[in-house]
Amino acid sequence: MKIKIAKIVILLSFITILLFSIGCTGVQREPIGFSGVNSYEGILYIGTTDGRIVAVNPESRVDREVFPSPDGEWEYSPIVPSTGWSCSDSSAPVSIYGTPVVTDGLACIGIYNGKVLMMNPIARNSNLPFPQQRDEEWSYPRTDELIAPIVGSPAILDDIVYISCSDSMIYALDRRFGDELWKSEPLGDKLWVTPVIKDDVLYVSTFDGHIYTLSATDGDLLPWSFKSETGFISSPAIYEDIIIVGSFDRNLHAVRIGDNTPLWSFAAENWFWGTALVDDGIVYAGCLDGKVYALDVLTGDKIWEFNAGESVVSSPIMADDSIVVASEAGDIFIVDKLTGRGKSVMGLEGTDEDIVSTTGAIIRSSLCYSEGIVYVHTQNDVLFAIDVEQANISWMYSLEQEQDK
Amino acid sequence: MTDLWYLIIVDPTLNGLIALSGALPKQVQFGLAIILLTVTVRIILLPVSLRQLKSTKAMQSLHPKMQELQKKHGRNKQKLQQETMKLYKESGINPIGCMGPMLIQFPVWIALYQSIMRALATTPENLLDLSHRLYSWEAVSHALPLNNNFLWLDLAGSGDFFLAILVGGSMWVQQKMTTAPSADPKQQSTAQSMQIMMPFMFGAFVLMFPSGLAIFWLISNLIGIATQYFLGGGWGNLTNPFSSAESKSKK
Repeated sequence: MKIKIAKIVILLSFITILLFSIGCTGVQREPIGFSGVNSYEGILYIGTTDGRIVAVNPESRVDREVFPSPDGEWEYSPIVPSTGWSCSDSSAPVSIYGTPVVTDGLACIGIYNGKVLMMNPIARNSNLPFPQQRDEEWSYPRTDELIAPIVGSPAILDDIVYISCSDSMIYALDRRFGDELWKSEPLGDKLWVTPVIKDDVLYVSTFDGHIYTLSATDGDLLPWSFKSETGFISSPAIYEDIIIVGSFDRNLHAVRIGDNTPLWSFAAENWFWGTALVDDGIVYAGCLDGKVYALDVLTGDKIWEFNAGESVVSSPIMADDSIVVASEAGDIFIVDKLTGRGKSVMGLEGTDEDIVSTTGAIIRSSLCYSEGIVYVHTQNDVLFAIDVEQANISWMYSLEQEQDK
Repeated sequence: MTDLWYLIIVDPTLNGLIALSGALPKQVQFGLAIILLTVTVRIILLPVSLRQLKSTKAMQSLHPKMQELQKKHGRNKQKLQQETMKLYKESGINPIGCMGPMLIQFPVWIALYQSIMRALATTPENLLDLSHRLYSWEAVSHALPLNNNFLWLDLAGSGDFFLAILVGGSMWVQQKMTTAPSADPKQQSTAQSMQIMMPFMFGAFVLMFPSGLAIFWLISNLIGIATQYFLGGGWGNLTNPFSSAESKSKK
């Protein structure tokens, strides 16, 4: 009898291990997150892959002070109720994809687990329980309830926080108290984008191929919307009255607000995942085909292309007269915005592809430029500071928790 | 090796599944595509399945003779084994004949499994990964992103008890129909335990894995049952679910 049970247990264990190893290792199912960096009054705000929101003072990192230093540094680990099976109340860490947005000294972030958080650096620095309502801290929803996953970053205008959600709705929340002011009607498919606000109008691109315009005041759908045959994958970028957005058909589309047909479409070899950067009449768009394209915003004509070698997930960023680009493989490039050629090289001078540095880790999150330095958050939770003029790594700091280092 | 596996097996299946979804009504596209692809694959593998069925049937036809052998040499295990092998040889049956076709089908099931999991792309990381596996076909780009809803199910979600019961129940029926009786009481007892444990285990898997995968298991089981019924000659052992208990009580 014992042998029989043992045989069955061994066989079942084998099948279970086989299924899980084939299924789970082949396809990663758990969200990890790739939050970008934001700089506000000299402090950097980042969401880590282990679900913490971290404020880093570059000066303290240069001085190699113990983290968190009293000079504006802090970290906070939001905990949400676990959605798994459990006999008792349990909680789980969170995943963060959006980049923290800081306004009037308060940091706001939407987390994948379905909460929006507003944090006061003073309260977080003092390690007080969250939320400190008198310090204008809040979470939405206030209770243990969760809304659908949030992937995009918050957009803030005046006293309203706008956030898109996987339940296909836009939420407008009071910036000071976190009260829900309104939520839009469902906009078709799930929303993984950051809404763009221009002249009191919200612009949202959707997975089912729409660009919707909503009133920033009450969330009502405005008369003009655009419908494409294929879904949109990237968040929209707006330049004057032209919306630039990437779609699942591997095209970057430009749509003039009010028109029903695209102004132009530019085909590449893969999706334009990151939001395009538009400056001085030129669109700079990173593509998952490993290239960065510079296109005329009015005609879509290609001005130059730059080969980053591997997929470009994060959006290109403007750093004075250069474009800084990060490939998913971890290489960072500084590209002349007029010619598409590298300006300075470490050991590779003269080539078209000017590698400034390699971080050695995956880069998917948004970059941040401040006072000559580009900040990069890699998937292994290391924060790199790249000196654009010197074209080298100025400093780097591991954001992993002390016990994990 | 992994690259080759994806290049030859997984990527074509994945792109085929997505392109097929694009040709179906948006409301039910992915669920229906999973069903159609599962049916297609089962039809392609029908010759293999029939061979497996034939082996199982042949094993079943030997059941009375094996019972005789059991009565005759029940106390001498070595002799029983020798006589059983002799019987197999005389009847032209390979006792592991049922295993061969199963092994051939296994990579196909794994490819389907991986394709469904990848196509669902529930997280941004999954979607990024998916982008590198897609062909530049218009049919593929127009189908994306796939609609995860099918009937009452979120195909990317898990934890549907009704679906778990359906998968577990259909697996039990299929196993009951196809499992060949054994002359050895120990083997028979083990097979019976497996018939109960496997449906329970897969029922539990349904609660843990995306419903899209459970749909694949369910349809696969139903096709297995239909194949057995129409081509294998009826309900098989299902019509006599207490056969082993009876034989025990006779003893």
